[in-house]
Amino acid sequence: MSQALEAKVEPEVVLGWINKIGSDSSSTVPLLQAVQSEYGYLPRAAMDLIIQNTDITGRQVYGVATFYSQFRLKPVGRHIIRICHGTACHVSGADRLDTSLRHILKITDGEQDTAENGSYTIEQVACVGCCSQAPVMVISDEVSGNLTGASAQRVLKKHAKKNEEIVANI
Amino acid sequence: MDANNLNVIVGEGTCGIAAGSKEVIEAFQKYAPEIKIRTVGCVGMCHQEVITEINDNNGNRYIYGRVTKKNVPQIIKFHQGEGDRLNDNLIYSPEEQDTDKWKYLAHQTRIALRNVGFLDPTSISEYEQRDGYKAIRKILREMTPEQVIEEIKVSSIRGRGGAGFPTHIKWSFARKSEGDSKYLICNGDEGDPGAFMDRSLLEGDPHNVIEGMLIAAYAIGASRGYAYVRAEYPLAVKNFGKAIRDAHERGVLGDNIQGSNFSFDIKIKEGAGAFVCGEETALIASIEGERGMPRFKPPFPAVKGLFGKPTIINNVETLANLPWIINNGGAAYAAYGTEDSKGTKVFALAGAIKKGGLVEVPMGTKIRDVLEDIGGGSSSGKPFKAVQLGGPSGGCIPESLFDTTIEYAAINATGAIMGSGGMIVMDETTCMVDLAKYFLSFTQLESCGKCTFCRIGTLRMRELLTRICDGEAEMSDLDALDELTEQIKKSSLCGLGQTAPNPVATTLRYFRSEYEAHIKERRCPAAVCKKLITHTIIPADCTACSLCEMQCPVDAITGEKKVKGSYIINQAKCINCGMCFEVCNSKAILVK
Repeated sequence: MSQALEAKVEPEVVLGWINKIGSDSSSTVPLLQAVQSEYGYLPRAAMDLIIQNTDITGRQVYGVATFYSQFRLKPVGRHIIRICHGTACHVSGADRLDTSLRHILKITDGEQDTAENGSYTIEQVACVGCCSQAPVMVISDEVSGNLTGASAQRVLKKHAKKNEEIVANI
Repeated sequence: MDANNLNVIVGEGTCGIAAGSKEVIEAFQKYAPEIKIRTVGCVGMCHQEVITEINDNNGNRYIYGRVTKKNVPQIIKFHQGEGDRLNDNLIYSPEEQDTDKWKYLAHQTRIALRNVGFLDPTSISEYEQRDGYKAIRKILREMTPEQVIEEIKVSSIRGRGGAGFPTHIKWSFARKSEGDSKYLICNGDEGDPGAFMDRSLLEGDPHNVIEGMLIAAYAIGASRGYAYVRAEYPLAVKNFGKAIRDAHERGVLGDNIQGSNFSFDIKIKEGAGAFVCGEETALIASIEGERGMPRFKPPFPAVKGLFGKPTIINNVETLANLPWIINNGGAAYAAYGTEDSKGTKVFALAGAIKKGGLVEVPMGTKIRDVLEDIGGGSSSGKPFKAVQLGGPSGGCIPESLFDTTIEYAAINATGAIMGSGGMIVMDETTCMVDLAKYFLSFTQLESCGKCTFCRIGTLRMRELLTRICDGEAEMSDLDALDELTEQIKKSSLCGLGQTAPNPVATTLRYFRSEYEAHIKERRCPAAVCKKLITHTIIPADCTACSLCEMQCPVDAITGEKKVKGSYIINQAKCINCGMCFEVCNSKAILVK
């Protein structure tokens, strides 16, 4: 993972959320959600700030961060592609969307999920609830359905063009 | 006719957006800038999205399905009195009210979904025009909490989230619990892959859910509420949040509602992605800011729940029925259904079905009638093989049992469960062993890890199923699966573990021959399991267009463009991903 993707955490911003959301134990999940929506993942520095400035313990922050599938501890690309792997999507070829997008993003290492150039991260999600349009994926917040491996590539290329990102041309 | 007199209604649930509703709206704005456009939630005909309704100033209603931006100019012209009607896309018109497409809605009985797709979810006035907030006003005026509970008892509604526990019994526990501070939680953590009725209700008719929460809160004596909504449903969070703010302004939420001494407020809690949080005690732990791990019951949440206070958790669909029940009476609700199961149930129909979407039918309807009359039969033309009910906790019901009626006891007898209402239809292209592996991989990943048998047992089952799918298993592995099924069911604390083996148990019971083909013949009858199939090129059919070569992610395909017969697949490199099969225009890829 390139260093460029590591987020720079501004303490005032994190303290601002703590002021707004709360510093009691039940604020753990919303605080981490705020951190992640800003940085795309949970930077260590932001988690430390929460531990130091609230009643929430380190055990709790790390416990929650590793329990829920929404939270990521590693930096992500500039855009996130969520490929739905719900039942309907699974039986209509969600795996192939994964293969075809990894192909044009040149993510060949099965352990990796972010393109080398930091453009996109591929995530597998359980179900986005659009089962009648299966298979489905969501790029940033745009949902597209009734996909094939090839049409998913076209959707991604269109998104990339609009956002000035580079994906392989095949 | 002037386009300015037309009212256009576009379906903008998540599924409408996925099908391109934004482009359709932009096209209307481009070709007829003055036109009035309203957006509504998902009417449930997901297979027809983008759905566009035109109301002309003569009071005529026309509904079109599968509309794209290209159709928009023709639609506008026709309703201005020029050109031809877009007949292929017509679902409903004043002259044609009995189209095959319209049957999808006409054959349903809509109580929970009665408003979804018919009103603008961001408008509280539209909800009020459809009898909205009438039930809570009636209750505050003339009913005691005990009378409300009694009315719900008459309706005999059972929790629609999956377990089917009678709602009024749950409420009376909380009603009797001491203490001035009680909580009512709306469970919108719709985690079952394949179920999306809660999303549709929260997105498309949020005020109905709020009114349901008010009724429940009044009955149990709660003053504070939480709506726990999945983070994967951003539109639901947005629309529900707006509805809460509007309800406050209207005085139906907040302190001393409608001048009574009943006060109630709702906060939204976004889930963070954990299937187990559908379980009540895990959901409570999650709101409290902990890992969502279930705990032992009793004490039940109705006695000791959120922050140690009496708490009732009701599913979104259950709540969405309550205003109708209060307005029409419990007996009217109980008039639908069977002795065992009253009322209606919403199903999310998807998979190999012609018309997928949301379907609400009276309990007691046959599975076959839902699939044939409403769903329109198989989408591929191939015969149905099975239907999966209840998601990862449920099971597969084979075609031979499609005459089973939809009611709790009858569904349980097949080994499946009613569950939250996911109904995934499968034809012969689905491998039942692969499906069982899919569900076990899901539950294994989602197991919170507290109980040993759930944590390790599901992993062992997943390993065994992987071996079967890879053609490396022995017949004795099936006995091991049976044994693990029993042990995991007996030794797990919560519903996740107790039901996790169901997909395996039902597929083993009804599709044992498929398991045996994988083990004895090293063959996947549905040609799905990657280690047991091969992709080859049929030289006579190949046009040497090179599409497959470009799309192959592992460079396993080589040949020379335009030289017929030159293309071959290197089997040592091929990962059987199926991309070549998908892109081949001349059906020259053989999968066996």
